[in-house]
Amino acid sequence: MINFTLNGKAVSTEAPGDTPLLWVVRDYFKLKGSKFGCGMGLCGACTMHLDGQAIRTCITPVAAIEGKSVTTIEGVSPKGAYNSIQQAWIDHSVPQCGYCQSGQIMSATALLARNPNPTDAEIDQAMQGNICRCGTYPRIKAAIKKAVSDNGSNGSSGSEVAYYTPSNQLEGGNNA
Amino acid sequence: MNEALTTRRQFLQMVGVTGGGLVVSVALPACAAPGLNFDHGAGTYFHNALIQIAPDSRIHFYNPRSEMGQGVYNGMTTLIAEELSTDPDKIEVHFAPVHEAYQSPESGMQSTGGSTSMRVFYTPMRQAAANAREALLQAAAEQLGVAKDSLTLDNGKVIAESGSYPFGDFTALAGQRPIPENAPLKPAAQFKYIGKETSRIDAPAKVDGSAMFGLDADFPGLKKAVLQRCPVAGGKVKSFDGDAVKAMPGVLAVVDIETGVAVVGEHYWQTRQAAEKLNIEWDLPELADLSTDKYFTQLRQQLTEDKGGKAHREGEGAKGLENASEVVKAEYSAPFLAHATMEPMNCTIKIDGDKADVWTSTQIPQVVQGLVARHAGLDAENVNVHSSFLGGGFGRRLYSDYVVEATKIAVASGFPIQLIWSREEDTRNDVYRPGSVARFEASVNDDGLIDTFFVKRAGANAFPAIIDSALPTLMPLGLAEWVGNRVEGVVAGFELDTTSTEGLYEDYDAPNKEARHVTVDSGLSVGFWRSVGHSFSGFFKESFIDELAHHAGVDPYEFRMNNSKKDKRFAEVIKLAATKGNWGNPRHAGATQGIAAHTSFYSRVAEVAEVSVENGNIKVHRITCAVDCGLAVNPDIVKAQMESSIIYGLTATLYGKIDIEAGQVRQSNFHDYPMLRMQEAPEIEVHIVPSQEAPTGVGEPGLPPVAAAVANAVYKATGKRLRELPLSLA
Repeated sequence: MINFTLNGKAVSTEAPGDTPLLWVVRDYFKLKGSKFGCGMGLCGACTMHLDGQAIRTCITPVAAIEGKSVTTIEGVSPKGAYNSIQQAWIDHSVPQCGYCQSGQIMSATALLARNPNPTDAEIDQAMQGNICRCGTYPRIKAAIKKAVSDNGSNGSSGSEVAYYTPSNQLEGGNNA
Repeated sequence: MNEALTTRRQFLQMVGVTGGGLVVSVALPACAAPGLNFDHGAGTYFHNALIQIAPDSRIHFYNPRSEMGQGVYNGMTTLIAEELSTDPDKIEVHFAPVHEAYQSPESGMQSTGGSTSMRVFYTPMRQAAANAREALLQAAAEQLGVAKDSLTLDNGKVIAESGSYPFGDFTALAGQRPIPENAPLKPAAQFKYIGKETSRIDAPAKVDGSAMFGLDADFPGLKKAVLQRCPVAGGKVKSFDGDAVKAMPGVLAVVDIETGVAVVGEHYWQTRQAAEKLNIEWDLPELADLSTDKYFTQLRQQLTEDKGGKAHREGEGAKGLENASEVVKAEYSAPFLAHATMEPMNCTIKIDGDKADVWTSTQIPQVVQGLVARHAGLDAENVNVHSSFLGGGFGRRLYSDYVVEATKIAVASGFPIQLIWSREEDTRNDVYRPGSVARFEASVNDDGLIDTFFVKRAGANAFPAIIDSALPTLMPLGLAEWVGNRVEGVVAGFELDTTSTEGLYEDYDAPNKEARHVTVDSGLSVGFWRSVGHSFSGFFKESFIDELAHHAGVDPYEFRMNNSKKDKRFAEVIKLAATKGNWGNPRHAGATQGIAAHTSFYSRVAEVAEVSVENGNIKVHRITCAVDCGLAVNPDIVKAQMESSIIYGLTATLYGKIDIEAGQVRQSNFHDYPMLRMQEAPEIEVHIVPSQEAPTGVGEPGLPPVAAAVANAVYKATGKRLRELPLSLA
């Protein structure tokens, strides 16, 4: 039995400890907003926050999150309401197929929590782990900047965000 | 029968499939839709299969097109909204079930591809909504006792002198009156939504995780399935270690479906791990001899030895070269490519007695229905296909191999299952963009005008796979069996698949033109990949045109303008891209520029690339794009699709390559089949030619010019002419 917090609620699961968090959230807790894309931590479609950090949950065994706090796309804003990042995504018509966008928004949210006013290079660095096959990158970048300006000086600094590097992810990768 | 199958056109008319610009006309059934049963409450005005207006005034629209990112969810709804004078985001959009009422009036199929939606549905959709509007107005006039001409619609209300009334007040009466036909369409001058940059109506569901994709289908009792296939496509199971796997935790069943062994389990992860322990031995198919290196050598050899079949000829054709003082020659090649949709292939299926429900991300729900029926032994009308958003399509989801697999697993195991492909399986079991080699020979006269333009392409044909996939569902079972067993012969008998040579020769003026084709089938499954033949022909032709310009000593932009006098719209986009792209004066310091233009899916697109080369690496800074797609139903979505096609095309320009050795695909996941990431995405500026012409394609035409625009800029920077994709200076 593994206990953790999911979108603010204490939960527990009997899933085998090596099950990636992504599949626990999707299959056991039936939250379908986080997506499966690669299973190797290479595409970012599965991105959630673990104690505020953006992580690739397709390669994170659920045993590793005992006692920790997980936030998914369903937990970043109240149902039916949109935070400034989501609203910027809507205003810029960012999504095309939309499949990667939960992960994109989770990475962007973690970035702005840590760095409320990122440079272009910092946006690139924080977002380079999230692939979009529809090529929405220019709009994602524009939307992040819009969210920054909407947040104004109210943006608060949050917890540290783990930056993505492909080599790190590959070493721990699970070829499924 | 045999005679009827001898020409491609007749054959396609028979199966109701089109490609490469072939048009088969079928009227969109605008009225009755027997068998459809939508429940929006008593008194709902059931206008047709597309539009229902409920007594609560809600407008329900059953969208017949698959939304895979290209914007049809928004675009089709905008057409309806315009004629019903209602905001698009006030219309409830549903994914249409499979029914003949939703078939394309062009192809006679319920499928989405070929950048056709706005071109084909622009008028029929508006007509359907205009007829509904007319019905509401007639009912309102009768009920209110006023002249119909005194009434208008505005923002979801009927406006009369006596006040404004919700639509729902008149739906009951409208339903008792005959359905109007051919109601007048709104004049363009009155458009409130068409042509405006409204924000996408599917965006809200796609930013909070609530948008449903095929992979998100779930219900109590659903099991997961993982299928182990032969590393060489088409291999058959010889033996496997089923007993040990059956005993593993969470495993419910192990079934042999001949092309693979499936494990069915409670949860995906356990099922996946169990499937890896099957130790399957395979009977390898002939394809095990295939290597892409050998295949490309063969293509080059056959280009030399085979005359090929005629695809096009005008004037003297290639003979015109005989009179030329000098002939410019070049050979280009492009690799096999996987689609790499973000959502890997998956299919969820529940068979219950003589009925089945299927949830899958598909571009071709009609074929999905037929294939499930066929492989589960059911009547097609008892197979309910639940459409959803697609996590990318790009042509991949026109093929239904994963649906057939899921159906066989469900039948064999007796469980409702969700089959999920891993990324590795997705990369290695695709229907690939065919690898191609083309040779050009051309002459240019002293005035810098092309005199003779000759091209010969070798490679496999992309078209037959769709017939293979679709045919069994479009004919009565016995007949399908008969034809299905002969498909290979039928396909081999094709004089030409137009998707193999499309885009190689059409765009520029030349008194003598000839295009020929040498079909060389590798045995590997190949098919439609975003922009189909144009995905390689745009690179080939536009790079070669650049070579001709340099050879003639003419600026590549001027050369293109001088040689495109016949198609004014084509010349116009070249001019617009050059003007807006600052041709001759790169904005990025130290960068060089390249230009390319291409017509595909009835749209013209020109692109100027700004590129720099550092330490042998190609960096793309900026793409300026000009597009003429006729009337832009939503200019912002047109821009988004140009951005999308450019970035998708840049992945193919810089990285995309599928290699095969001993019949096995070497690439597997995003580390060895990389995608463009944010830091590599250039600035993109899109300019749309203002137009009131009929809408043309948008989802694909932005792709074909981009590789050549980049390669032409690299030539400017380095003097090296890169004639092979992906571009490499190594």
